[in-house]
Amino acid sequence: MQLDLVDLRITPDQLEKLTGLDISETFMGRVYRPSVFRSVRRFLPFLITEGLTFALILIFCLPLGLVIGRGLGWLSNAGTTLIFFLFLLGFSVLLFAIWNLYMWQQGKRLKTLAHLLDEVDKHNDIIEAVDVMDQLSAVQSASIQLIDRSEVLQALAATRESLVNALMTEKIFRKYRQFMNRRQELFTNIESNLATLQTLQIDAQANEYGQLLNQALQIGLSLRQEIRQWQQLEEREK
Amino acid sequence: MKHFAVLISLLRDRQYFFDEVRRDYKTEKKIGSLLVASAFFLACYGAIIGASSSWLQMLSSAIKLPALYLITLTICLPTLYFFDILFGSALTFGQYALLVLISVSVISVLLFSFAPITLFFLISVHDYNFFLLLNVAIFAFTGLMGVKFFYQAMQTIDRSETAQLEPPVAAPLKLAEDSPQPPDDFLPIDDLSRSEKSLAQLAQVNRSTGLQSSNQRTRRRLLQFWLVLYALVGSQLGWTLRPFFGAPNETFQLFRNIEGNFYSQVFRSLFTLLGWN
Repeated sequence: MQLDLVDLRITPDQLEKLTGLDISETFMGRVYRPSVFRSVRRFLPFLITEGLTFALILIFCLPLGLVIGRGLGWLSNAGTTLIFFLFLLGFSVLLFAIWNLYMWQQGKRLKTLAHLLDEVDKHNDIIEAVDVMDQLSAVQSASIQLIDRSEVLQALAATRESLVNALMTEKIFRKYRQFMNRRQELFTNIESNLATLQTLQIDAQANEYGQLLNQALQIGLSLRQEIRQWQQLEEREK
Repeated sequence: MKHFAVLISLLRDRQYFFDEVRRDYKTEKKIGSLLVASAFFLACYGAIIGASSSWLQMLSSAIKLPALYLITLTICLPTLYFFDILFGSALTFGQYALLVLISVSVISVLLFSFAPITLFFLISVHDYNFFLLLNVAIFAFTGLMGVKFFYQAMQTIDRSETAQLEPPVAAPLKLAEDSPQPPDDFLPIDDLSRSEKSLAQLAQVNRSTGLQSSNQRTRRRLLQFWLVLYALVGSQLGWTLRPFFGAPNETFQLFRNIEGNFYSQVFRSLFTLLGWN
């Protein structure tokens, strides 16, 4: 990957600093990302994590419960042992359900962040696409030309800045709801970057980068929509 | 799915890992990862030792072995935490949980590394007492290694903590040494007050350092006592949760009656193996 593209990526470390949470494909902080249900690649780690969580609950509940049951004399014959065993299994399932309910509740509070993270993923995907095109153009020198590469990079830089601003705003909004000094400045930045994107999109020629620019614009629009929702929410609270 | 990567980072660069524990860096994530990784390795080893009897025993041991280590940890952890904070430790409960989990994780990895050897003897030697004693030896060895790792971690963190808490002593002492020697026995009032201040500071530093080192010594003794307690609780819980192996020619049992204790059974097996029974 070329250096200018590397700089445009939003890396997991940067995401961690921007959001103040551990971000992976499956988790944001300690809760699941809603995007795990949208692709098989992400759904598999989710399933494994769920399985491991249930296994851990079983490891703690079953032996301890059986030891207590034996101490209280509830395991005197095979029939009562089976019933008690099934009760413990049911109890483990209940704990597992409570755990998932807690995760779901926590996830609701991070809905905006989840949406922003999806946009970050899209942004990084575009950069990957540009990189692939760069590599193809290097191999098949004449057939694919990087006509508007600088414009695309400019668009991606604006998108990146918008995303970073949005993530910072979300973090501030999440952590210091009463104290948002930089809010107006960040909102203004996002609006101005969106205007840049729109100009670039109009200027773009009908080439292979047109679609990428369009995607960058979509991210920008989506961000603006999100910011407006926050503003409306805040106005309602006032 | 980076649970195993956390464990590998612990094994590869323990000093860096201990430093992260001291700084309380991503403690919660590390706890989750080490919990999952150690439970997985212990379950694998449990399944192997249970396989010497029946598939039901295999399943039972795969749950019981991680339970043995993790429940022992849960039982003993509050004792360590509350006694240590009583004697000046600044670590959080999460950091203590992580430190104890480090020990369990190391044990689980070492047990897992012994798995092929255990499996080999399981297939090639059909002697219950030999298999039992072999595993007692493996458990003892891995346990000692885990405890050594944990002790090392606690010492490292304790030293770093003390080094951070110690006030800077060089400046006031230097001031006292650099003070010009007065020509006669009477100090000027200004110099006198400065010297008194320096001495008072020195005394305070000495008291503070002395108290810290005394607390550190107490914490070290407490840690040694706790390790003995941990071993006792672990062996008793292991005895309560048995069978892990499943005796030959016996039907599957979820639990055995509580009779005797762990140590008497080890000696009984040893005598039987040596033909003294």
